[in-house]
Amino acid sequence: MRPVSLKLIYLTLFAAYMLYLLPWAGFGLLLRPDFVLLVLLYWMLRAPHLCNVGTAWMMGLWLDIASGSLFGQYALAYSVTAFFAIYYQRRLVLFSAWQQVGYVMLLLLVSQIVLLVIKLMAGNALPGWCYFLSSLSGVLLWQLLVFSRVIDPDAKNAS
Amino acid sequence: MDHQHPPAFFVRGPSPLARLTFFAAVSIVLMAVDARLHYLTEIRQGVSVVLHPLEVAVRAPVNAFLYVNEYITTQTNLVHENRQLRQRALLDSADLQRFRTLQAENAHLRNMLSALPAMPQPARLGEIVHSGRDPFSQKVIVNLGARHGITSGQAVIDELGVVGQVTQIYPLSSEVTLVTDKDLAVPVQIERSGLRAIAFGNSRNSAIDLPYLPVNVDIQVGDRLVTSGIDGVYPAGLAVGKVVQIDRKTYAPFARIACVPIAGIKTHRQVLLIPAAENVPPLPEPEKPSAKPSKKSPRNAPRKP
Repeated sequence: MRPVSLKLIYLTLFAAYMLYLLPWAGFGLLLRPDFVLLVLLYWMLRAPHLCNVGTAWMMGLWLDIASGSLFGQYALAYSVTAFFAIYYQRRLVLFSAWQQVGYVMLLLLVSQIVLLVIKLMAGNALPGWCYFLSSLSGVLLWQLLVFSRVIDPDAKNAS
Repeated sequence: MDHQHPPAFFVRGPSPLARLTFFAAVSIVLMAVDARLHYLTEIRQGVSVVLHPLEVAVRAPVNAFLYVNEYITTQTNLVHENRQLRQRALLDSADLQRFRTLQAENAHLRNMLSALPAMPQPARLGEIVHSGRDPFSQKVIVNLGARHGITSGQAVIDELGVVGQVTQIYPLSSEVTLVTDKDLAVPVQIERSGLRAIAFGNSRNSAIDLPYLPVNVDIQVGDRLVTSGIDGVYPAGLAVGKVVQIDRKTYAPFARIACVPIAGIKTHRQVLLIPAAENVPPLPEPEKPSAKPSKKSPRNAPRKP
């Protein structure tokens, strides 16, 4: 197995960020998977000594800047999600592929729910159920990448 | 580099909980500072300049696709569109002729009344670059910014009616809150009856609400809402929305009136940014603080949540 380099991590995170910056609109915006979080989760499972809560927090800040909403909300949501990913990381890599998908779905939902709570506290109206579609599309994307063997979350730390 | 420090599996630094506590605390402080003090606006403006080339680069392939798509539009389409446009131009020219006479007549009447002359409205043509990334709010980003002389609070319209208001300025772009955003209020008048009201956005289903009107209000389905012009932000007489549903419940204090926006807020790319009126006298100071809270729209930029 190839060793994971820090450069590769930041490169993929940057690519995911560019995907986020694409001009999504309408239904695409609703269905847009959280690319940055997916990449973060993958690296946190694969190389937790290189990609940790701090990395997630930093990427969250960049998303906050791009989204133009309340500063720090993505940072908080990503930190919480990263915590759950890192905390169970050692068990997670032993899971079967399907269990992993379930857990990834849960993590995506955690980040969306944290965001939702922050938005509600800031005085936003409750969005419809469509709001959670992006978690669904995110997990589909994850599974697609696992099936097509682009990523392999079962790969243990290169050691 | 992983091979150099062998037991990476065991060396993990501070515990995840410690990291979470630290970063969560920092995020909450950032949020509180941003929400209460609005201190981070300048920082965000600075960073947005760095981000701008990235956004342009990312948009380039999308724009290229749209351009090619436009280029290979079939000729029949164009002929059809051309015919339609010609018909519309004919209709418009008739209207325009009437408009000129009306304008002359209006000027004459205003002179007779020795009223203030209506100020000319030099507007800037902007293009919607992309819609806001926050699915919670109804916002779009326009390619004109502080560099082009745009200021916060300007009204944004298209050829059909009011699109929204500029709420945040970046150096090279600006954020427009659409009339369907729940934080935007537009002072309107019902064209048929002249009744004044405040229209609020309804982010949920991209509609406009007309709250605080009594159940027996004189309003019909199909009524057009136009700006009343009394706030000094929107020139009077611009179309805002059309009433589509009226719900008069006898037990409710107010009628529930739903409208749809007239401007093509979802479909159009070009918008006009109208400068705020300059010689509007300042609002009188409120005399008594105990006066009942007015439901008037926030005057300039309604700050986003």
